[in-house]
Amino acid sequence: MILLPLNIITTTLIGASLAGVACSLIGVFVVRMKLSSLGFCMSHAAFAGAALGLALSFNPLVMAMIFSLTSAFLLGPVAEKAKLHPDVILGVMFSLMLALGLIFLSLTPGTAMSSSAMGILWGSVLGISKTELIQLGGLTGIVVGLIVLFSKEFQAIMFSRKLAEASGINTKPFFYIILFLTGITIALTLKLIGGLLIFALVVNPASTVYQFFYDIKKIILISPLVGVGYCMVGILVSLLFDFPVGSSIAIVSSICFGISVVFSPKRKRG
Amino acid sequence: MNFSSTQPIKLKNVSTIYEGEKIPAIKDVNLIISRGEMVTIIGPNGAGKTTLLETINGLLPHTAGKVEVLGKDIKKYGSYIRRRTGYVPQEITFAEATPFLVEDVILMGRFGKIGLFKSPTRSDYEKVREVMRLIGIQDLAKKPIGKLSGGQVQKVMIARALAKEPELLLLDEPFSNLDLNALSDISRKISYLHTIFNLTTLMVIHNVASIPPSCNRAILINQGRIVEDNLSGKRLNFSHLKMLYRVNL
Ligand SMILES: Nc1ncnc2c1ncn2[C@@H]1O[C@H](COP(=O)(O)OP(=O)(O)O)[C@@H](O)[C@H]1O
Ligand SMILES: [Mg+2]
Repeated sequence: MILLPLNIITTTLIGASLAGVACSLIGVFVVRMKLSSLGFCMSHAAFAGAALGLALSFNPLVMAMIFSLTSAFLLGPVAEKAKLHPDVILGVMFSLMLALGLIFLSLTPGTAMSSSAMGILWGSVLGISKTELIQLGGLTGIVVGLIVLFSKEFQAIMFSRKLAEASGINTKPFFYIILFLTGITIALTLKLIGGLLIFALVVNPASTVYQFFYDIKKIILISPLVGVGYCMVGILVSLLFDFPVGSSIAIVSSICFGISVVFSPKRKRG
Repeated sequence: MNFSSTQPIKLKNVSTIYEGEKIPAIKDVNLIISRGEMVTIIGPNGAGKTTLLETINGLLPHTAGKVEVLGKDIKKYGSYIRRRTGYVPQEITFAEATPFLVEDVILMGRFGKIGLFKSPTRSDYEKVREVMRLIGIQDLAKKPIGKLSGGQVQKVMIARALAKEPELLLLDEPFSNLDLNALSDISRKISYLHTIFNLTTLMVIHNVASIPPSCNRAILINQGRIVEDNLSGKRLNFSHLKMLYRVNL
């Protein structure tokens, strides 16, 4: 068990909560629209970008954003057309990005290496600064705001993109808004959870909630709460056992998802 | 008088080629449908019936010719036209776990019409209840869409298309999963709407026996081309069908 000053604990919990809300809201889209492999690619691209930033002593956050957004807009058209079997292309991309990230990390000058590099890989929620907290708060606000503002359009697209088009919604901009938000969210939360595991926080809360509800409105409302819950328990586990924070959140959320599959009313009779 | 509004569908030498294909799925189609007509489209599997409907509402981009719907060019005014056009796609299925309730699915049919930055109001919800009553699916309102039978889904999709109070109605084999009772019931209701609101209706029909009573025109389509179009309003005769399907009826 690690003991920490109260103000660090407070910042940590607020940061993790914001990350939990943003990631799991994005996750509702990613899971329903089968964008997991695309998101997975983006998170590894963000990781590669951040690593390059470290190697070049350039702002890792900015590099992470550039990388994840570029990959989103390059791969978006591929993901849009199910015909092209995006999984294969995405699989290739994701290993490429991971490989690049690891090379960039190995090029990082010795002094910067230690903690920042490990943070990018495994997450370092405890080292979160006030600026980062404000950035995260802003991001979470934007994600929630856009979801509220375009809730009709997003709902219709999540139901069926073709039927949304048929009802007169121009779906393309909204599809790319989702990719854009995914890219930004991943880049901003990268440092907290780590590039290798950030996607667990995107996919696991929403996937858990999907096991229990048939009403998308409830799923959108409850997923962020579950996401925050996973972060809190994850941090607790990480402090108790001195595990990396990203790993703890990934393990906690995966176990809970497993349990939810077993107890899902969608799989029960009578 | 606005000339275009009297001819909600105008296709001139229209061909549509699917992405990655070489042969057009519909070829050199010329078709004018006047306001208030109810037209059925008949033809064998793969004739191009679905392609024709989706070329008309612009879900599929046509590759040659000119498509004008509700007086506007589909290439420029696609969403405008689709906001005013009800479309019931052919046999659509939803995974059992699909997280959407029937009443929401129907309401979503109105979302394009409601427009950006606006929320559904009481009158939108009222309209949803009204079409559910009309089609007779009030009891399905709170059910997940993935848990319905094929026929029930078809009724929901018809209700969804009607919920937006369309100026033009496109239906793709809307009766294929309905039992005989439901078929004659829904067919009569579509005829009723057509008559009362002078609603222009274009309907792909699988079974000649299910042509609705108020239908005044039938188009036969084969291998991407219109092969018969009885503008005169006389009912289909068997020799047409025999020619088309090459079977003895
Ligand atoms: N997505 C597609 N990609 C390529 N070809 C298609 C696609 N959908 C339909 N086709 C082809 O276009 C032709 C017309 O199909 P369709 O309009 O669905 O026929 P129908 O509705 O009359 O049964 C068929 O030959 C079919 O194989
Ligand atoms: Mg068809």
